[in-house]
Amino acid sequence: MQDVRCVLIEYIKENQEKMYKTAFTYVHDRDEALDIVQESIAKALQNINKLKYEEYVKTWFYRILINESLQHIKKNKRNNLYEIENLENEIADYSEIPIENIEIYKCINRLNEKIRTVIILRFFEDMKIEEIAYSTRTNENTVKSRLYKGIQELKKMIEGGKN
Amino acid sequence: MEELKKAKMVYDSINVPNELNYVVHRSIAKQKKNKNRIFYYFKILATTTVASFVLFVVTVNSNSTFASSISEVPIIGDIARIFTIKEYQEEDELKLVNVKMPALENTGNTELENRINYEILTKINEKIEEAEKRAEEYRDAVIQTGGSLEDFHPINIEVNYEVKYSTNEIVSFVINKFETLASAYNEQDFYNIDITNGKELNLRDVLGPDYKQIVDSSIKKQIEEREKNSDNTYFDVSDGGFDGIEDEYQNFYINESGNVVIVFQKYEIAPGYMGIQEFEIQQ
Repeated sequence: MQDVRCVLIEYIKENQEKMYKTAFTYVHDRDEALDIVQESIAKALQNINKLKYEEYVKTWFYRILINESLQHIKKNKRNNLYEIENLENEIADYSEIPIENIEIYKCINRLNEKIRTVIILRFFEDMKIEEIAYSTRTNENTVKSRLYKGIQELKKMIEGGKN
Repeated sequence: MEELKKAKMVYDSINVPNELNYVVHRSIAKQKKNKNRIFYYFKILATTTVASFVLFVVTVNSNSTFASSISEVPIIGDIARIFTIKEYQEEDELKLVNVKMPALENTGNTELENRINYEILTKINEKIEEAEKRAEEYRDAVIQTGGSLEDFHPINIEVNYEVKYSTNEIVSFVINKFETLASAYNEQDFYNIDITNGKELNLRDVLGPDYKQIVDSSIKKQIEEREKNSDNTYFDVSDGGFDGIEDEYQNFYINESGNVVIVFQKYEIAPGYMGIQEFEIQQ
C-alpha cells in the first residue's frame, strides 16, 4: 500500500504542470485551476486505498482531476464565469502565437464537456484511447465515437468562422 | 488533425503560476499529517504500552515522513477519546461510498458512549440511505428522459470526522458528510460533550446566560471586519442575513484554544461562493 502511495506522490510531483494545464483548460481561471489541482490531490491521497495497481496511477488520478474540473464548471455555470477572457495574460508569448491557433483553442471550449474531455486528453495530453476510457469511466468505443464527433464539430466551427 | 496541433501550441504555452509547486507540496504534506493523526486515534485503542510501542515502531519504519512530523502530534494525555471504529468503501452502479466513522471510548461512562455511538451510527446510515434514494431517483429520471446509463455517474458520498478539541472533561468533534451528484452538498453534525456528566453542551452551558449577546455582537463585528475586503459578501439582514443566533442550540464546536466557534453552513448567511462561515468567539 505504501508503495502505491509513494508512486502516486512521485507522479503528482512530476506531472503537476500538466495537471494544472488540464484544469486550466476547463475553467480558464488561474486560482480556480490551482484549487482543482489541490482538491484533486487531497481526494487522491484520501482514496489511495482504492488504487490497487500502480500501473493505473496516471489514469486513476486523471479520473479525479477531470471529475473535480467538471464539478467546478457545474458549480459556477450560473455565474457565466467561463467566458474565456484575458487569455493573453495566461499564455506565454501570446503575441507570437498565430491568432488562428488561439481561435481553435477557444472553439474546444465550446464543445460539450464529455467531448471536450476526450479531445483534451487525446490531443493535448497524448493519452491512448485505452487510458482515456479508464480516465473517463467508459469504454474504448465510446471514446472513439466522442473523438470523431468532437473533430467533426470542431471542423464545422472552424469553417463557420472562416466564412 | 492539423488544427488540433495548433490548439496544442496554445495549451502548451499556458503559464504555470509560481505557487503551483507550493500548492502541490502543501496538499501532499497536509494529507500526511492527517494520516498520522488518525494513526494516533487508532493507537489509543491499544491497551498496553507494549502493543502501542510495536505499532509505533512499525509506523516509523514504514513512513519516513512520520519522524519529521512527530513533534506536531498531540501528547497522548490530551488526545480525544474519539477513534475510528469503522472505515469502509463501497462501490456499486449507484454510489461510491467512503466512510470513516468515529466513536467515543474510554470515558468511564458506558451509557454515554452507547448513546452517542448509536446516534452517530444511525445518523450516518440514514444519510447514506437517503443519498442512495436520491441517486436512484436521479438515475431513473435520466433514463426516462431518454438518456442512457452512460449519462449517469454514481453518486459520491463521503463521511469523515474531525476532532476539534479534547481534554479529560470535554470533547468536541464534527462529522462531515459530502455528497456529490448533480451538485455538491455538505452537511455537518457537531458534538460537544461534557465527559464528566455525559451532557451534550449547548452555548448557554459554555458561555453562560449572556451567551446570545456575546455571540451576536462578536459575529456582527467580525462580519463588518470581513466585509472590508470587497471579495467578501454577506446577505443583508432583509435578505436573510445574520441577525443574531436563534437559541443556544446553534451549531458550534470548540477549537484548540478552547474557544467557541460558531458555524454557518454554505448559503446560510452568505452567497455560496463564500462557503462555510466560521466565527471564533474570543473570550
